[in-house]
Order: sequence, then C-alpha cells, then structure tokens
Amino acid sequence: MNNKYLKTLTNGLVTENPLFRLVLGTCPSLAVTSAVENGFWMGILVTFVLTCSNVLISMLRKVIPAKIRIPCFIVIIATFVTIVDLVMEAYLPAMHKTLGIFIPLIVVNCIILARAESFASKNNVVLSALDGVGMGLGFMGALMIVATFREILGNGTFFGFHVMGEGFPVAKIMVQAPGAFLTLGLVLGAINLVANHKKAA
Amino acid sequence: MRLKTFRGGIHPPKNKFTALDAIRPMTVPQLVVIPLQQHVGAPCQPLVKVGDLVKMGQKIGEAKAFVSAPVHASVSGKVKAIGLVDGTLGKKIMAITIENDYQDTPDESISGQKNLDNMTPDDIRNMVREAGIVGLGGAGFPTSVKLSPPADKKIEMLIMNGVECEPYLTCDQRVIIEETDTMILGIRAMMKALGVNHAYIGIKITMEGAIEALHEKILNEKGIDVVPLVPKYPQGEERQLIYAVTGREVPSGGLPHDVGVVVANVATAWAIGRTLQTGMPLIERIMTVGGAVQNPGNFTVRVGTKIEDMMMAVGGYSGTPGSIIVGGPLTGFAQFHTNIPLTKQNNGFVVLTKEQAEPGEMTDCIHCGLCVQACPCRLVPHQLSKYAKNGDTAGLEQFNILDCRECSSCAYVCPAKIPLLHYMRVGKNYVMAKRAEQKK
Amino acid sequence: MDEMKLIVQAPPHIRSPLTTKKIMFTVVLALIPAASAGVVFFGMRALLHMVLSIAAAVLTEFVLQRLLRKKVTIADGSAVLTGLLLGMNLPVAAPLWIGVVGSIFAISIVKQAFGGLGQNFMNPALAARAMLMAAWPNQMVQWVTPLDAIATATPLAIAKAGIPDTATLPLLWDMFIGFIGGSIGETSALALLVGGIYLIYKELIDYRIPLAYLGTVFILASIFGADGLNSGLFHLLAGGVMIGAIFMATDYVTSPSTATGRWIYGIGCGLITIMIRFWGSYPEGVSFSILLMNIVAPLIERFTIPRKFGEVKKK
Repeated sequence: MNNKYLKTLTNGLVTENPLFRLVLGTCPSLAVTSAVENGFWMGILVTFVLTCSNVLISMLRKVIPAKIRIPCFIVIIATFVTIVDLVMEAYLPAMHKTLGIFIPLIVVNCIILARAESFASKNNVVLSALDGVGMGLGFMGALMIVATFREILGNGTFFGFHVMGEGFPVAKIMVQAPGAFLTLGLVLGAINLVANHKKAA
Repeated sequence: MRLKTFRGGIHPPKNKFTALDAIRPMTVPQLVVIPLQQHVGAPCQPLVKVGDLVKMGQKIGEAKAFVSAPVHASVSGKVKAIGLVDGTLGKKIMAITIENDYQDTPDESISGQKNLDNMTPDDIRNMVREAGIVGLGGAGFPTSVKLSPPADKKIEMLIMNGVECEPYLTCDQRVIIEETDTMILGIRAMMKALGVNHAYIGIKITMEGAIEALHEKILNEKGIDVVPLVPKYPQGEERQLIYAVTGREVPSGGLPHDVGVVVANVATAWAIGRTLQTGMPLIERIMTVGGAVQNPGNFTVRVGTKIEDMMMAVGGYSGTPGSIIVGGPLTGFAQFHTNIPLTKQNNGFVVLTKEQAEPGEMTDCIHCGLCVQACPCRLVPHQLSKYAKNGDTAGLEQFNILDCRECSSCAYVCPAKIPLLHYMRVGKNYVMAKRAEQKK
Repeated sequence: MDEMKLIVQAPPHIRSPLTTKKIMFTVVLALIPAASAGVVFFGMRALLHMVLSIAAAVLTEFVLQRLLRKKVTIADGSAVLTGLLLGMNLPVAAPLWIGVVGSIFAISIVKQAFGGLGQNFMNPALAARAMLMAAWPNQMVQWVTPLDAIATATPLAIAKAGIPDTATLPLLWDMFIGFIGGSIGETSALALLVGGIYLIYKELIDYRIPLAYLGTVFILASIFGADGLNSGLFHLLAGGVMIGAIFMATDYVTSPSTATGRWIYGIGCGLITIMIRFWGSYPEGVSFSILLMNIVAPLIERFTIPRKFGEVKKK
C-alpha cells in the first residue's frame, strides 16, 4: 500500500517528469524560464491548481458524464486558476505582472488536463492528490533547471543575485525566445541520452 | 555547323588508346562455349547432344519464340558438354561447349553470297533471324524483331549508332573505318527491310578517321547521311541519340518506333552485311581488349571465346589487375574470374588497375546537384537514392525511377562516391516488386 | 592465375576524380584572397579570429563524433570551411572567444544535431553569426576602419542613418578594394570576386545563384535607391552581399539542386536582402535573407523538379 502512494508521489518528479519526460506544458516553460524566480512561482501556482483540480475531479469522477468530461474539467481547472490569479494580484503584484498572461493560460496547460484525463478521473482522491503534488513539483523543478541556464548565461544572475562577475559577457539571446528553445532542446537531449543509456544498460 | 546533342551528360576521359589499331584476328581457342541465350528473349533449345560432331556455322540452338534468335557453332569440332557455366552477368547459364578441331569446316547449309536486290523485305528478315543476328551494341535485342515493327507504327528513318561513347572501346570505330562497305551493305538491307528511304549514321566528331572514311563512301549512297555529334557520354544511349538526330523524345515507357525511328548499332549492320557477303551466320564479331594488358587492340573474335584465352593472346596483364569489365567501364559487368565465355552481345573487355577501380571513400551526400546536371533523363538521382534507401516506393514512382536508363552518369560524377546506380537498381526492384504484388 | 582478387562492384567502374574533400578545400582556397585581404586591412588579430574559429570548429566536430561513437570526418574539410567562413564574418574588434563560441554552436547544433554532413537545414556559419548577433549585439557591431583600427560605422550603417550626403559615404572604388569598415572577410569585393570566378571556372559553384542574387540586388537598389545606378553599385559592394552571394548562398546542402530552383533561390535572397536594407530595421539583410531562403530551399527544389525525358503530357 505504502509503495503505491510513494510511487504516485515520486512519479511526477523524475520518472514521468511532465516537462522532461512527458513533454507537456512546453509553452509556459519557454515563456517563464528567463528567470529562476519566475519558474519557481509558476511551479507553485501549477502545483496548487493541479492538486486541487485533481482532487475535485477525482471526487466527481463517478458523476461527470463521459461525453462532456472535457468542458467539466476545464470549468473546474478555471475555477482554481481564477483563485490563484486573484491571490497573486493581491499579494505578489510584481510577480503577477511578470508572469502576465501565462497565469490565465494555466487553464489550458496540457499537464493539468492530461493528468485530469488520465489519472484523476480514474483513481481515488488520495492518489490523485499525490499525483498532483508530484507532477506539480516535478514541473517546478524542471522549470527551475531550464531557468537556471537561461538566467545565468543570459543575465549573469540566479534568483536575482549576481553570480557571474562584472566582466561576464551575458548572451542576451538566452533570455529571448530562441534561447528558450535552444536550452529546452539541449536539456531534453541530454536527459534522453541518459535515459537511453540507462535503458540499454 | 552547329553540332547536335542532348542536355546533361558527362565527359569521362576517352582513353581510346586502341583507336588507330587495325583489326587483327584473335587466336581461335581450343574450347568455345556457346551460351544458349545470347539475346533478349526466350533462350534457345539445344539441337545437338554431347558427342555430336558439328560444323562451323551450324545451328545448334533453336529459337521458337518470336522474340528470340538461334545460336550457331563458331568452330567445327565435337560437342564436349552441355551444361551450366559461369556467365558474364555473374549467374550460371546453360551453354554448349565445343572442342575445336581447327578445320573450320563450314556447315552444308551455308549457301554463299546473297544478292540484296533479289530479296524481299521478308527474305531479309528471315535471313537476319536465321543468322542469329542480334544487337551488337551490347543489348542483344534480336534484330529480326527490330526490323518487324508493329503494323500501326510508321517508320520514317533508320538511325545507325556509331557513337561508341564508352571509354576504351574502339571496335565500332574500326568497323566504320575498315569494314565500311560491309557496314553500308548491312544498312541498305535494313533500310529495305523497313521500307525507309533515309538512314542517318550518328558519329562523334572526335572519332578519329571515321567521318573521313565514311564521307567518301557516302557520297555515292542515296539516302544515307552522317550526323556529327558533340562528344559526350551517353550520346550512344538510344533515346539521347534519337533526340540529338531528330529532336524527338521517345515517350516514357515507349520505344523508338513510337517516334517513327529504328535505331541499330553499326556493328549489327556489319554483321548483316557479312552474312549477305558470305552466307555465314553470326559466329564472330569485332571486340576491343583494352586497359592494363600487354597488347591491347581490336580483334575479330569467335563467339564463345573465353576471357582467359583472350588474355593469353594479348600477352597477359600489365601489372596487377584490379577489375575486369566486360563491356565499357561505365555500364559494363565486373567479372569474378576469367573462365567466362564472351557472346555475340559483348563488345570486348577492359582491364582496370586497382587505382582506377577502387571506389574511393564514401561520404554523406552533400547535395551538390552534380548528379542532377549530369542525368540525361532529367531525373534527380540523389533524391531517388534516398527513397531507395528507405524503400519508399511512393516517392520512387512519383519521381520516375523507372525512366532511369542506368547510364551511370550520376554515379560517375558524384564527389561523395555514393553508389547511385546501385541505388537506382534497388529502387527499381522495389517498385517492380510492389507492382507485381498489386497485380495479384 | 585465378587466385587474383578482383574488385567486383556495380557500375560505374571508373569515377570522376572530384571528391567531397577536394571540393571543400578548393572552396577554402578560393577564400584565401579575401581572408588575406582581411589580414592586410585589419591586422594579425583578424588572422587570430580565423584560426581560432577553424580550430574550434574542427575540435568540436572531432569531440562530438568521438563521444557519439560515430566515424570522425574532420578530414573532409567541411568543418574547416565552416570555421573559416564564420571567422571571416566577425568584426576584428570583437572578443576572441566569440568566434570559438560561434563555431561550437555552428558545428554541434546546426550541423551535427541535425544529422551531420549534408543534413544541416541552414548554413551553419551564417546561423552561428545570427546567433552571435542576437546574443552579443554590442560586441558584434564594433566596426573599425582598415589599417588604423579607428572605430567607425559601416557604409550600410551610414546609409541607414539616412545621411544622403555622398561626401560621408565612402568611394565606390574604396568599397571595391575593401578600404571600408566591416567584417574581416566581407569588405574586399575584389578579392571575393577573384575567388568566386575561380570556383565558377572550376564548376564548383553554380553561376546561377550569385548571378541571380547580385543581379536582383543591383536592379532593385538601382530602382529604389536614391542615386540610380550608383545606388545599385553601392549596394553590391556594401556589406556582406559579395561574400554571401558567392560563398554562403551557394552552400550545396542548403540551396536547391535544380537549375530553375537556383534562379528562384538567388532572386529570393536578393529580394529579401533589399527589403531588409531599405525598409527593415537592420542596416544589413544578407544573413537573414540567406537563412530564410535556406529554410524554403527544399520546397523550391520540390517544385522545380525538371520535366523528365520522354514525359507524356496528359491531355
């Protein structure tokens, strides 16, 4: 019993990391990873929304008719996204402005819909909650990893703190869109290399 | 005067070292091996058994089908064996081995000289068929069939292929220079059989001595003209030759008679002329032995002579041989060993050194487009080879793989040393296999 | 006699003496006049840039191919050529590490990540240059005058700033020889033309691409420029059009292999270059125009497949 719960929790962290292994939610990943702090907060928001929506959908899974399940999921997810949007605006207005339109876009974040469809609608509440937490934290970790490369190389800072010396020639491209694609691509490539190596071993 | 040509093509080194060597008789060997299929079409049925005595020119293989041609003994002697031997294409073929008695006794059926004026077109066709004459340019298509085009195709002219675009080979050149009268007699016979008034002989302007030799003789011949052509490979390809001489393109999947033309090699005309002059069927032809041998040259060779016997006669190899190619180095067949009989279709063989034959290091395709420029059929070889590698029959058919004439221009020119012709063949096999499956 | 080992292969049994390696190194040879002009005008630092770029490109390819357990192909000269072209596209005053970073990017990402030789979807040297421009825009526009290394603006930058006075624009003759500010290898039209004519004579580049590209630039600049034919000549000699049209756009892998396709491709490059130079926000448009045309080159090739010999027209 323990194993199942533990497995569900840790699944989303590494083995089935939503960004690096399932390659879901790439859109916000490319957009908000120009700074580690942004990635951190996006991760927090997604974890919250994912966990809450997973729980609610799991509670209602026997009630929601199969034919209209997607609109139902969206309504549920949108409710929680609205909550975080308003909370952010009230208590962290600067970050709310930085993340901008990507907060409302959490509604259509593939991770949340995918987990709702493939896990929460088929499993009990506890497992769904654990899945949400695991996936959310995994997503946050992934965002922060990508953002680390981009912020250090593109801005010379980490979480806002200067970590590279004065003379470090920052590569502006890293905090722009091309840099996002390059970084994500290279990180995914490296992870695939390791994963394939492990499989072959 | 503007020379005629076609678009595309390549300029390999001509290496016509034996161009000025007069034809010599090749030593007649002790054993000749007569394959039962020396032509396109159904193989012959043997008419003799082991132990039979045969005469020179005797028919020893019967051709029943329409697209076929009989085979004859090229020496007199005793039938030693009838069985499978190694052939030039790397496959085993059925052949009759005859032990030479060095008497050269002619067969009783040889009736001697014939008069072209007394022969009807049907007579000519029968004579050509009975003499076993096939296309001597290498394809070996039965000439009697070529002279019998379908009734609904109107033939306007005969085009003689005197181009000989492959490097090293000079046998056709010597036929044009030394056997001009015999060749012209053969051309006349073909013109009569087809009922045409015009014949054009396509010759490259760089073929030394040929235009001069023909010029005098042609002056008195009505309806036969020489067409000088740009020296380019593969000008001798049937379709490119027709295009250069007439400006007409043979439709894809069609044949020359679709554009009112029949094409034949000058050596084939020579064979017809020879049969008219002597009554003897096709038992010998001119061949070139070229490349890294002691005494290269042009020879009159009896059908069925083995390569190893010819090698002895030319004094052996010059250095260590790399490849032995039957035919020319651009489209010929590499041999595994020399115990191989040469047939009516073969115009000789070339010995290449290791340096010449080594394919060189292959790199990835760099998309340089040289193959696209070279292809005389205006295909895109690099793309077709990629489809062939992946077995993509849809792509192969869309880009016309079956129109490839396998002239090797693309593979010659490729700087990445990719075996393009090999891929063309692979591609064609895929497409033909798929079509066969769909028919079921 | 039959113990000899004969080579048996599909025809042809003889091949043209041209090899991939010969092509790459001949193009390098054709670039020597322009590279030398760069050293003459901009000093030893220019040579250092080129050497570092070439070394970085070759080393990157070697290391990557070893790591990925592939056949090491640095001897075919393609990495050398990419490194040299990238080095020639740098301003001499740029930091010395910039060519190294660019070369690493060009070889590892633009070339090897997509499949190696023959598979890159963009010109690697040009893509690297674009990346460097986006990453370090300040360092990549530090132009200096030749010989005395004073900070200056390129002719195109001057023209873009809208100064119509021909007194501030350099003489056309200076632009032809190369006495102007610019990247190490792009300034001397004369040296580049010498190399280009040599390559066309050797039939290693198709004349269609440079002719279409340069022709389009000349004609459009003459029509839309302020000074008629003089504008046409100015735009031919200014910036990277010469090196772009002769050495970059003609890269085999990223240009169409059909004759008609090459005309279209060259004209497209010229069109986009002029559009960016005249109406875009950058003073120079060569890099982006070639990169954009690189991306559509396969499409162009697909639509310009020649009519096959003996094609039966469907009625």
